[in-house]
Amino acid sequence: MTVRIAGAPANSGEVLGSAADQPPAETLPATTHRNGESSSISRFRIFIVDSGWNSAARRVLHENFALIRDLQKDDPIYVLDREKSVEFMRRHGSRIGRDPIIAVHDMQALNKGGTTGFHGFRLSLGLLRTPQHALMGLQAFARFLVEHRHSADLEADIRARLRREGFSGAIEIAMHHEAREIGE
Amino acid sequence: MLDRLGEAVSVVLGALAIAYLVYEIDRRRRRLRDLFHVLDGAEADISADLLNMVESGELKPFFREIPA
Repeated sequence: MTVRIAGAPANSGEVLGSAADQPPAETLPATTHRNGESSSISRFRIFIVDSGWNSAARRVLHENFALIRDLQKDDPIYVLDREKSVEFMRRHGSRIGRDPIIAVHDMQALNKGGTTGFHGFRLSLGLLRTPQHALMGLQAFARFLVEHRHSADLEADIRARLRREGFSGAIEIAMHHEAREIGE
Repeated sequence: MLDRLGEAVSVVLGALAIAYLVYEIDRRRRRLRDLFHVLDGAEADISADLLNMVESGELKPFFREIPA
């Protein structure tokens, strides 16, 4: 059986789901999603908030969204359309200018402790100003998701990674090497 | 006298170098945190907002349509 990749439902995906932005329909082996229901093995819920700034990060996300969706086919992806994203930004003004934002909820952690403790992670893609940086950021993010979807302690993995990044950044500065750019 | 001045300059330059290093590491750490970080209690309201949208049916996931 094959499945046809559908566009977004009527109430989501305008930002990423306009006709021009949608990748062509294609066929894939049947997987875990049927009629919008995610499979019982979903570890993550992925949210994309994009209020529509004309930015390199937004273009990179659009161009690679189909691939991201296929890489994360075991997890539901929720795309806030422009209207919902703008409303979201109005409620959380400190996030304006950081979108597109990809927020990932770790359902395992969320079911244990709710939103008060660790419950996922997020990438503020809009802070990456060049297409190259945005693409590298998106790829690193996708890699992290795939590599850690069965992690027993996702929070420890993320914090260890951040420490490593900080440590390697310090070495680069100390050695006067070309600084690792993260979007500047 | 010149020795003392030389020492003082060395100390000041060394302190400036260390201060720059600390500042630069801290700046990068903050920038990395802005870019990529965990969701925890500090972002609980934002996460709750997204969860509410899903639970209320306001948001639906992308899906794969099974042809008849």
